[in-house]
Amino acid sequence: MTILRDVLAELIGMFVGDARLSAAILAVVVLVALLIEVGHVLPLIGGGVLLAGCLAVVVTSVRRGARRAAAAQAGGEPGGPASE
Amino acid sequence: MFTWSTAAPAISAAFLASLVEVVEAFTIVLAVATLRGWRPAALGTAGALAVLGAIVVILGPLLDRVPLHLLQLIVGILLLLFGIGWLRKAALRAAGVIPLHDEDAIFAAETAHLGEEARRRKTSLDWIAGITAFKAVLLEGLEVVFIVIAVGAGRGLLGPASLGALAACALVLLVGAIVHRPLSRVPENTLKFGVGVMLSAFGVFWTGEGLGIEWPGHDLALFIFAILFLGTGLLAAALARRPLAEAVK
Repeated sequence: MTILRDVLAELIGMFVGDARLSAAILAVVVLVALLIEVGHVLPLIGGGVLLAGCLAVVVTSVRRGARRAAAAQAGGEPGGPASE
Repeated sequence: MFTWSTAAPAISAAFLASLVEVVEAFTIVLAVATLRGWRPAALGTAGALAVLGAIVVILGPLLDRVPLHLLQLIVGILLLLFGIGWLRKAALRAAGVIPLHDEDAIFAAETAHLGEEARRRKTSLDWIAGITAFKAVLLEGLEVVFIVIAVGAGRGLLGPASLGALAACALVLLVGAIVHRPLSRVPENTLKFGVGVMLSAFGVFWTGEGLGIEWPGHDLALFIFAILFLGTGLLAAALARRPLAEAVK
């Protein structure tokens, strides 16, 4: 049972290691799907939004992780992404 | 039939990602073998490889039944979640926010943990050692299986992607057998950075194709995406160093 639990935890951790990051990526994909399917924008414009959105998610997520670590360090608290 | 220009990104992504995962699994298998000999290590590894093989055999035919666009969309989203997660961690490690992965430290910790487990549970150490090797190979192998399926399934490149993963396994086993110690000199974070970049690029590509986007330049778009993710990852790592430096001051 421990092995099954570990396998499940590994599978979940693979895709939702950071809940906010996963939510941001899914939000970008849903936005692009809505733009193409409902807004009827050109698919290529949707592609541009998808790419730009994902690149923005990388920058904001890394900066947020760094700020959390810096705040934890300044407060002398453990935690933040340094504990990942 | 595939062309090399189509297959090369899938093969290299599967090779590099598998290299990272196999190095991590190898460290634990080596700890098991050092403590209890190669028998429990080999049995645990073989058991895990059998389970992973069964997963591939069961999943493979099922994938053929999923409509291509739906498969591309699901795999693309999973790749984005997985790849950007790797890229984020690698950028944070490059910026010094998260400590680097230390295979020597993991080896020492795993060896100590095995001895402690045997004392605590009063169980045969061979059994615990075998299970530890089994779990390590299974958990790391699951990621390899996902990566191979993810980069290969969208274009019928499962075979070439599997070859990339197998080549990584062979390389780690060969080098590991020669040096007989944890492969701590592998530039793991650089590899993870590169793999995060490639998987994220594949993720955007497949998600877009799944949503009906025809990328200009077709497969060449993958290289453009990879360059953009690389530049963005490096920029994010540079930006991440500032708050940490200010906190240290």
